[in-house]
Amino acid sequence: MSIRALWVVSHEKGESGKVRFSRRFPTVELRAKSLAGTQYVAVPEDRVIPKLLLTELGLVDADKPYVEVRDDCARQHRSPAVELRLDGPGRRTLWPLLTVTQGALILACLPLVEAPPEPRPPLPSLASVSQGLALLSGLQDFLCGPGAKPEPDVLASRLAALPSVLLQVCPLGRPLDTPPPAGSVPAAVAPSPGGAQKQPAWKAGVHRGRAVVSVALTEKVRSMQYSKSSQQDIWDVYGMVMCKCEVEGVLPNVTVTLTLPHNGSPLQDILVHPCVTSLDASILTACSVDENDSSAFSGPYKFPFSPPLELFRLCSYTSQVPVPPILGSYQLKAEENHLKVNVVLKLHESVKNSFEYCEAHIPFFNQNLMGSVEVKVSSGQLEVSKEKNLLVWVLGQKFPKSREATLEGTVHFSGTVAGPTDPLCTGLTAYIKLYFRVPDLTLSGCCVDQHSVQVYSSAKPRIVTTRELVSSEYYIWNSTGEAPVSSGLMVL
Amino acid sequence: MTIADLWDQRISAFLLSPSQFLATTTTESFLAELLHELRKDKANDQLKILLVSVLLEHPTVLCPSASVGEETALELLSVFSHMPQKSIMLKCNIMLAITNVIICTSCLATHTKTAEDWLDLLFQTIQDTNDYRCGLSQQPIRATACDCLREMETCSPGLLSQKLEALFLLKQQETTVLHQSYCLLYTLGLKNAIRILTNQKDVTDLEFKSILGGNEGFAWKSNQLGLTSLPINMLVQVPRLPQGLDCKELKSIMSSLLEESYLLTPISQSALLRELVEVVAMVPGLSPTLFKSQLLRLFGTADVSLMHATLFMKDTFTDSLFTAEDENFLLKRLVGTAQHPLLRIPEKLFYMECILHFPENRPISSSGEESLPVLVTPRLAASLHPTVFNDSATMLCRLNLLCLVHLEVADEGEMDKGISHLFEHIMALLKIVDSDGSREVVVTSFRALFIFLTHFNGMEELSEKLIDKLCDMYSRHSQLAPNLIGLADRIQEHLDDPVWSVKLLRGLQKCIMEMPPLQLTIHNLSWHLKVLKRVAKEGQITQRNTIYLLLNVLINSNLCERGNWQVGNAVLAVCRNLLEHPSIDQVFIELADLLQYISIHYDDTDIKDHARFYYTLLTNLSWEKLTGVLAKGLDGGRAKERSHSAIMAENEGIASNLTVHKTNRHVLQLIKVQEASQSSSESSSESLEATGEVKNWLEVYQGQFQTPGFGSEVTLRYNLTHAKETDPLFDKVFTICLHFELKDSNYSKVSDIHVPCVFRDRKPPEVKVKLKPFQPYPTSLCVSAVFSTQDGRSWHSRLPDVSVSFPEIFLPLPLPPNSSCECKEQVFEHIWEAAASGNPDKSANSLFCFKPEDESLADLIKTHFQGYLITDQQSERSWKVLFFLPPKCHVLLKITQAEDAARVSIATDNWELLPFVNSYLQNITDNCSSTVTDG
Repeated sequence: MSIRALWVVSHEKGESGKVRFSRRFPTVELRAKSLAGTQYVAVPEDRVIPKLLLTELGLVDADKPYVEVRDDCARQHRSPAVELRLDGPGRRTLWPLLTVTQGALILACLPLVEAPPEPRPPLPSLASVSQGLALLSGLQDFLCGPGAKPEPDVLASRLAALPSVLLQVCPLGRPLDTPPPAGSVPAAVAPSPGGAQKQPAWKAGVHRGRAVVSVALTEKVRSMQYSKSSQQDIWDVYGMVMCKCEVEGVLPNVTVTLTLPHNGSPLQDILVHPCVTSLDASILTACSVDENDSSAFSGPYKFPFSPPLELFRLCSYTSQVPVPPILGSYQLKAEENHLKVNVVLKLHESVKNSFEYCEAHIPFFNQNLMGSVEVKVSSGQLEVSKEKNLLVWVLGQKFPKSREATLEGTVHFSGTVAGPTDPLCTGLTAYIKLYFRVPDLTLSGCCVDQHSVQVYSSAKPRIVTTRELVSSEYYIWNSTGEAPVSSGLMVL
Repeated sequence: MTIADLWDQRISAFLLSPSQFLATTTTESFLAELLHELRKDKANDQLKILLVSVLLEHPTVLCPSASVGEETALELLSVFSHMPQKSIMLKCNIMLAITNVIICTSCLATHTKTAEDWLDLLFQTIQDTNDYRCGLSQQPIRATACDCLREMETCSPGLLSQKLEALFLLKQQETTVLHQSYCLLYTLGLKNAIRILTNQKDVTDLEFKSILGGNEGFAWKSNQLGLTSLPINMLVQVPRLPQGLDCKELKSIMSSLLEESYLLTPISQSALLRELVEVVAMVPGLSPTLFKSQLLRLFGTADVSLMHATLFMKDTFTDSLFTAEDENFLLKRLVGTAQHPLLRIPEKLFYMECILHFPENRPISSSGEESLPVLVTPRLAASLHPTVFNDSATMLCRLNLLCLVHLEVADEGEMDKGISHLFEHIMALLKIVDSDGSREVVVTSFRALFIFLTHFNGMEELSEKLIDKLCDMYSRHSQLAPNLIGLADRIQEHLDDPVWSVKLLRGLQKCIMEMPPLQLTIHNLSWHLKVLKRVAKEGQITQRNTIYLLLNVLINSNLCERGNWQVGNAVLAVCRNLLEHPSIDQVFIELADLLQYISIHYDDTDIKDHARFYYTLLTNLSWEKLTGVLAKGLDGGRAKERSHSAIMAENEGIASNLTVHKTNRHVLQLIKVQEASQSSSESSSESLEATGEVKNWLEVYQGQFQTPGFGSEVTLRYNLTHAKETDPLFDKVFTICLHFELKDSNYSKVSDIHVPCVFRDRKPPEVKVKLKPFQPYPTSLCVSAVFSTQDGRSWHSRLPDVSVSFPEIFLPLPLPPNSSCECKEQVFEHIWEAAASGNPDKSANSLFCFKPEDESLADLIKTHFQGYLITDQQSERSWKVLFFLPPKCHVLLKITQAEDAARVSIATDNWELLPFVNSYLQNITDNCSSTVTDG
């Protein structure tokens, strides 16, 4: 259960890769050598690592259309582990190298194979693999934080802090913990009182100060709508409960209960944080891959736990809701040198008509740049981005009373400069993407009642609960064109 | 630049490439510098941590032997013990470095005193739980000590097996966050102790109990498991203790460990669970139901390492812990997590692998191959259907899984809807490729095609449709040629059934034939020729149309007038494959026409010649002979004598390296010629007396350097011989060209050396390698050779690297021949004085002392310095030696024998050479004393 080496490699477009950080674990290497015997393959020097890694990930020679070592169709890149093909006699390979890519950063580690090297053991039979994956995920959070791309100087300072982080979480190649996510500084922490109660290893001290428990429920809704009888619309919802508990005590007990309205469809695929102390079997039974069973357990869902100091994801779930919050139709017709556009968006009556924001983005691909745009909207404003061939329909905070909004008009593509391209959206294959956020609403109806949060501690804490619905990958496809299949569930 | 910056640079350079870094200095001197800097009080902790990191990561590079390892560990230990209490981070780093050095240089395995002392110190540290007096700040030291002990126990299993009671008490007492470290240390010790006991026959209750109550020294001898002990899931048979042992105490220990497991971080929890699973598997008295209370919590976990540990439990205990219902449930959860929107891609890919290798209670096959658990039905797997919105790894992984699912169903006889959905997915991908998808999309789509075809190539209707689609796409995107050829090749290799590939190639041929002439532009033509060349390899495809097309294109375009060599060569490459085609006689005349046309009309002499040659072969030889001549003979065994075609249009690529084959074996090697001890005769016997006029010999000497290139070269002599094991194919090699690559920038480029031939049974030829140093440091050269074998093929092969040691660069003082001893001495003294007075400013003086045995000093001087002696006053026990190092460095030695030691005074005009001089002297004097003691 160890890793042999760890790398952070950066590769900016058009440049060769660069090792930004690396760490080798020689005692693990010693074991690797002894385990593999004559089939031992040493870890190459850092100077050759980027080239090998980028070749395997298909990131070298971007200007060449076909390079056999990179593009061979029989080399299957469908595993979290890749193999590095080393130069030199024997063409030996280094396996299994786990990699995580975020933007221009590649994190990689090489788990120890505690098995005879031939035949190559299955990945799940190696204990080090999941530990390596967990370590890399933690490292990713530590280096990149919640944002997509950290600023260069921020990244540099986080990289500089890595040696001392590794000293704690992986001193001798054996992962003990994951690095703390970037920017997570717990508030007032006092050292453990040192009584008989053992301090959890995932909690550096105890909270001192005002007791506050915040529970935030976020649901995301995804949808693919086709407005066609041949293609069924699909949508699904997934939710997560984020908690931050500032409560005194070494192992304070907190219970959060999620409830569904009467007739609500059960929460499925529930995954919980390791700090949850016990689970009722019925909570886990509903599973999205199963036939829907309306008689299944539908709450209340109790999660007793002892919180860590930092913000954490208590649990997540998926849910199947009967209707999408916004039902749309999109019709696009090609006429000579312009397109006729017709969009209708209907807000479902069960959804609260009070948005923080709501926008529909209508991109046009594989066309010349837009000329004149003659489009009317029944509600909200229209913004035209000619250089991006994009219409942005800002619906604002509310749909009109009728709960229906329309957009109609024509778009001319008179320019001679080619606009953005997309291999998927050719001909009349086109989509609208919706972006919206509704505070204080969940589609599944799931909620955390403030009074249902129980905290067993001396001081009565302030309890804050919130919920929200946010769109994610919410597409409405043009019904006059072909649209790609987006989920296996609909082919059944 | 501050010292810290300088070190920062050096250490970055070292970590990037230790081998390149050490080419400019010696390991000994670098290690000495590191340790020296570490001992300085002034240097700050940050810098010291950086310095330690080198030893932490590369202990075996810096400590090549156990003795150096032990010395280094002692040095570090002394630094450690003198460190102020507040330097926590540095102390922890040094502890890790010492542990790494001790383990990796086998100090631990060979049970040296240092290892023993270090182990004692670590154990004392973890017992010293009174660190409250210094506040919590000292906790990391104890945590690190636990980690070090755990690593030592891992590398020497059983080391702690007699200390389990002490460890248990420490674990019980600890209530701070450190209890995790103690808990893991104890559990590992416990597991190893039990594992060792399973090797023993007839274990009594007493022996079994004594494990838990052990409170003695370290068990140095118990290292029976070695480093290679595998986890139990890798063993054919799990080692077990006998039945009937009293497990009450162990059981309660296990329960308490499990109860507290919740207090560990998820990763450490998973490690703990795995150790405990192994213990339960080895002790029949313990029931797997111990874990029952943890199962629900684990089933619901979002943590990948805990889920993985649960699967390990499932694999180990099968139905003694998991009911059929549990199994079904667990699998469903895996499918759910494999597509969970909130998990990361690598984790989801891993869960999909876990589905493919799901540990079933009743597996049908037990091979490590990917095989679907019977419970995975099309219904269950439907949510893992690949879509065009997936990232490429996820899409390919899902496709592979779904292909397996539907293959099972297809085997049952019906072509189900699922397959046609997968087929639709493939078509959707191809549609994106057709709409100018990016390179990544193209590559991913061809990989998807490969997966699909390897599973469903038997379904004719679908595979025909695919061929139609691919040909249709090719007609618009001829740049897909290499992808299509690759696909045809790989499918052919993979399926042992060429049918699909042949059909595809036939389709592509047809597609090219039907293209309107306008589409046969120069650019597209090169793709088409590639395809036709591949098509011509298929005996089952008739080639008449190919020939007509080529002839047609050549006649009706201006290609012949343009005379582009590359195009001509590509056309000839098709012809070459056509010559080998089994049904050549059917198109004999057409091919002859084509070749003749090229040989007359193509405006490039080389192409004309080749075409004429092919024409001659075609018209004069039978097909059998023809193919015999053309056969490349790569399929093992001796190649056909002199296949002329090897130099002919064969490879795409550029003209210059037509068919240079590459071998990864070492075929040749360079062996240093042992110099017969320096022939110093030239000067010693008949020296010219300094003729009347008193010359300033120094001026004469220095004047020589006005001549460009004077004294700038070292010539090293090597024998070029065969490497030990090679194919008889290489017994006779010809026209060898040796090419040298430098590994550093201390030397100027070495020119290639040409050798006519090397025969295994003849005396090896001697080659002289001329080195021109910029800096006379030891170096090593990468050598490669291009040569031909008897069958006329050319080869490229690497030779073992040649290392050039420091003394190999020594030259005698370069004075004109027959210069007298006086002249030499005069020059010597001049340089010595200049160096002593610091001129030039890189000059330095140094002293080296050693203790020779009786007569060994004279022997030493004779063996090592003979050619470089300036004066030899054996009677006075004093010698002067001068090494000249190109381009213009001098190392001067004055050796005198005092009463009990020999003193070597060193002067040089380049202080950077001192570390090398030092290690050189060290080296030769070590040998000298060892020879003496041996004798």
